[in-house]
Amino acid sequence: MRLKLIGASLTLASSLMLSAAVAQADPVRVAFLMYGNKAEFVQLMERYAKEHPAVVSGDVILTMYDGRYDASVQNDQGQMAVNTMQDAIVINPMDYEANIDVVTMANDAGIPIVVTNARLNTTEMTSEVVSDDVQGGYLEAKAVMEKLGCKGNVVIIEGPKGGSGEIQRGEGNMKAIGECPEGQVTVLERKTANWSRAEALDLMQNWLSKHPGQINGVIGQNDEMALGAIEAIKSANLDVHDFAIAGVDGVTDALRAVKAGEMTSILQDARGQAQGSIDVALRAVKGADYQPESEIWAQYAGELSWDDGQAKRYDIPWTIVSNDNVDELLKDRK
Amino acid sequence: MDTPRLSMRSIQKRFGGVKALTDGNLTLRSGEVHALCGGNGAGKSTILSILMGFYKPDSGVIEIDGEAKSFNSAHEALEAGIAIVQQELSGVPQLTVAENIYLGSEPRRRGFIDFDTLNRNAEELLNRLGFDIDPRATLGDLAVATQQLVEIAKALSHSNANILIFDEPTSALGEKDTQRLFEVIRELAANGKAIAYVTHRLQEVFTIANAYTVFKDGETVIEGKVEGLTREMLIESMIGGSLGTEFVKDNVPAPATLFEVKNLTRAPYFRDVSFQLHGNEILGIYGLVGSGRSELLDTLYGLEIADSGDVQIEGRPLTPGDVDGAIRSGIAYVTEDRARSGLVLKASVGANLALSNLRFINSFGMVQERKERECVDLAIRQMHIRTPGPEEIVSNLSGGNQQKVVLGRCMAVGPKVLLLDEPTRGVDVGAKKDIYRLISEFTVGGGAALMISSDLEEIIGMCDRILVLRSGEIVEEFKHEATTQKDLMMAAI
Amino acid sequence: MTSPTLSVKRISFQKYGIIIAFLALCALVSAICQIKVMQGVWPVNVFLTVNNLMLILHQISVNGILAVGMTFVVISAGIDLSVGSVLAFSGMMAASFATRSTGVTPWSGVYFVAFPLLAALFTGALCGLVNGLIVSRFRIQPFIATLGMLLAARGLTMAVTGGNPISALSPEFRWFGTGRIFDTLPVPVVFLAIVFALAWVLLNKTVFGRYVYAVGGNEKSARTSGVNTTSVLTWTYIFAGFLSGVAGIILTAKTGSAQTSAGTSYELDAIAAVVIGGASLAGGVGRLTGTFFGALIIGVMNNGLDILGVESFYQSIIKGALIVLAVIIDSRRQA
Repeated sequence: MRLKLIGASLTLASSLMLSAAVAQADPVRVAFLMYGNKAEFVQLMERYAKEHPAVVSGDVILTMYDGRYDASVQNDQGQMAVNTMQDAIVINPMDYEANIDVVTMANDAGIPIVVTNARLNTTEMTSEVVSDDVQGGYLEAKAVMEKLGCKGNVVIIEGPKGGSGEIQRGEGNMKAIGECPEGQVTVLERKTANWSRAEALDLMQNWLSKHPGQINGVIGQNDEMALGAIEAIKSANLDVHDFAIAGVDGVTDALRAVKAGEMTSILQDARGQAQGSIDVALRAVKGADYQPESEIWAQYAGELSWDDGQAKRYDIPWTIVSNDNVDELLKDRK
Repeated sequence: MDTPRLSMRSIQKRFGGVKALTDGNLTLRSGEVHALCGGNGAGKSTILSILMGFYKPDSGVIEIDGEAKSFNSAHEALEAGIAIVQQELSGVPQLTVAENIYLGSEPRRRGFIDFDTLNRNAEELLNRLGFDIDPRATLGDLAVATQQLVEIAKALSHSNANILIFDEPTSALGEKDTQRLFEVIRELAANGKAIAYVTHRLQEVFTIANAYTVFKDGETVIEGKVEGLTREMLIESMIGGSLGTEFVKDNVPAPATLFEVKNLTRAPYFRDVSFQLHGNEILGIYGLVGSGRSELLDTLYGLEIADSGDVQIEGRPLTPGDVDGAIRSGIAYVTEDRARSGLVLKASVGANLALSNLRFINSFGMVQERKERECVDLAIRQMHIRTPGPEEIVSNLSGGNQQKVVLGRCMAVGPKVLLLDEPTRGVDVGAKKDIYRLISEFTVGGGAALMISSDLEEIIGMCDRILVLRSGEIVEEFKHEATTQKDLMMAAI
Repeated sequence: MTSPTLSVKRISFQKYGIIIAFLALCALVSAICQIKVMQGVWPVNVFLTVNNLMLILHQISVNGILAVGMTFVVISAGIDLSVGSVLAFSGMMAASFATRSTGVTPWSGVYFVAFPLLAALFTGALCGLVNGLIVSRFRIQPFIATLGMLLAARGLTMAVTGGNPISALSPEFRWFGTGRIFDTLPVPVVFLAIVFALAWVLLNKTVFGRYVYAVGGNEKSARTSGVNTTSVLTWTYIFAGFLSGVAGIILTAKTGSAQTSAGTSYELDAIAAVVIGGASLAGGVGRLTGTFFGALIIGVMNNGLDILGVESFYQSIIKGALIVLAVIIDSRRQA
């Protein structure tokens, strides 16, 4: 672990030196506002943002902000980005409504603003680079329904009540369940475990205790909670393979669980979102000559088009993690 | 002059089982400075607290200008024209002089403090009193004496304050400031105020007062004019005429030194204190509050560290600041305030009795519960502690029994030297006798006791020798046989 | 002065009141379940099964262990806000030795069991030592001192791995969270029992335990009684930190991953268990049996409300009401 740290700081140091030495005319300064930094997914986004070719070459100087899970902190940081004359802002917002302020501030200052990962309830931003949560929720529930053959009892472990993730993924969950013949699938329970593995573990244990032998499938609105459910099933001395379980995000532990045949995960592409939004931001700063540098546009050719970087919204596709692609994805996580 | 401004007659007050005031009388007249004299616990502060509305008397009459009054709160007393100049400096140092004077009764305009009026009023008041103080100055920046004057101004800011109480106002002042204060007090009296003046400094009675009242054991023993009064007469009335307490004292001091203090100094509390304590001896220390007596015992026990000097028990020196070492060497300490530093009030009688002894009755940190029970049972029996059982919470016990628990905890470790700071304070007569008996038995059995007491009768009745501590120095030593209360008081003041 | 009979009654209520409250709660949940059975909604009373009751013990193991340490701290008239963060930090240290991706070593048993355990316990105790020294030597209020540690330990947790979780833990290590003894008793429950038993002896049978009560009851009197209050306070916080380490091991092994957000706000549940158990935040008063039932009450409530399908917000409201109620009952009892 320590080696990794040293490695990280070395790359950081060398990229700093590079940017100083190679600095072309004017490096573009991009502020990247993350809502927090404690979850694996946000860590991945940070890492991929720093691996964007333009950041590595020194064309872009990236400043990361940690919003500490507080919408007002994030608004302050947006103000700070404007005040320090950043050329563009990318925001992964904490709150659907409260963080609209950052878009307003950026627009007032004439700075391009790209929203990524989560949504904001406005259309005033330069562009959105997101993955459709309704679609994610649909895909995971679909995977469970397919494994169950549209027959049986499921439980849904939800995200924090009233959050956009819970609402939209929940909508997708119900859409997939609704495609099954009526009366075949019963949702026995649905309750929040606040994205937390430990909470989901306790919750699932209690449900197993209440419905012995009756639960066939678990829809976790994120991977952590699906993994908590797996631990609960194991602790009840049951066989995980007898259950259809799915989660969303594609965190490393979920990839391992997919490899072990324990669940299905719907990968939310942290690299697509992070690097895609930097490309869109650079296009807005540099103008029509700019050609996107990230590999993702080639990777998703056909599903996602560049559209000269001018689209209002880019939907980064979800990837269903299966035995076919899991090894490759895991390799990338080392 | 016919109707006194204030007349308090036959005031009685008891706290729990303790009679604080049995027959308190006080008469104040306009234009008079009236000194209140008496030892600690004589009843002065109780009668003044009743006057200020802090306590309600159990019985008795209070009249102001001939009209019967009864105060339910300090506020009502203030309304009736009674104001006090606090003994301790009680102002808020961060606020200005004017803000302090009108704290709690600030002039307001539309809900905000009207600072212009505030400062103008303060300035007028200070001018009227002849105090040369800037009302806008911050209190904390002023000299202590000036702060004391601000306290006086504050007391007088209530326009109808006709009865003024000064509670040891000079304790923090130097000679020059004291003179200045006296001038102010004389002016106030000349303007028709009635002034009650509490002091421990007898000389001040003769300097400032016209009349005096002496309290002893909760009673007014004498009142009269200062004119024609002598210092000796005053002291005798403070001491004499009391009912004798039965002391128990069977010890005979041995010649061998058990405990020795050499040139002990801890600034600013005491300097160059030396004495020897012999086997089987009870040695008294007499001194006023502030003479450094409690600080001396704290230091002997290791709670505080001396600047210089030595303490030895049986010829072996004690490590400064090592309470555990002191206990292991055979020293035990009954502190002055049992609620603050003697007992764990919310714990049981048993837990308190065993607390000091746990260090001896354990094997590898595990309490030997059989020995613990024996130790607790023995202490309850020996100390005559009246409790439903060892499980009883200490705070449910009476003051006397609580004090016996403190003594019991100290005795449980089998000490050789017992340090006692006011061992019978707030204790009823029956429990007092038990405590005397315990001290006597302890010293007969080979131990030695060092005892602080403000009760002259007690210290003479119990001690073989008495050291007088004044301003941190031992000024005299008296033998038990050849001392009177008068000698002691003369030496201490 | 209270009459002796009254105070004897008071002591017995102090002893059994919490047990009565616990049984009443169980009876209530069970009765509602029974009604569902009678209505034909459920085939059996799922709350009142051996498996479910064992499950509750399993679920309270982490909070129960934290609450034991908290009991000592609260009796000493302090509070430890850092237990949740220290749990996360210790768990992360344990996981950094217990992860399979660290590489293979010749003595895997030692590497995957001994090192993680030592790392977590040492980390926990060290954080406790820092708390203890700040509280006892520098005389900083425990609330402030441990608030500092709450933030610092959380930051350290993230710094260990740069914010990433550590997963893929060895099966040897995971036994501490998922294993069963004799195929029935979950290991965390065994740990919970051992911790409670040892702590009970420490608090009730040793000189140290008596001193904790004395220092919390009146620090000055404890000092004049010859108690080394500095050392007693320091060891109290070390003990609480050490138990946070134990809880960190169990939670990490249970979930199979050390996460930077683990244990967030666990200090509140631990304090709740202690307070419901009858300890006074003013110090000097408290019992481990009370804390045990306090933790059980919270566990039964979480379990029961999940089983009854009550929404999570009501769960929060009920828990809040219960804590305040416990304190009100306690203060009336003392009045």
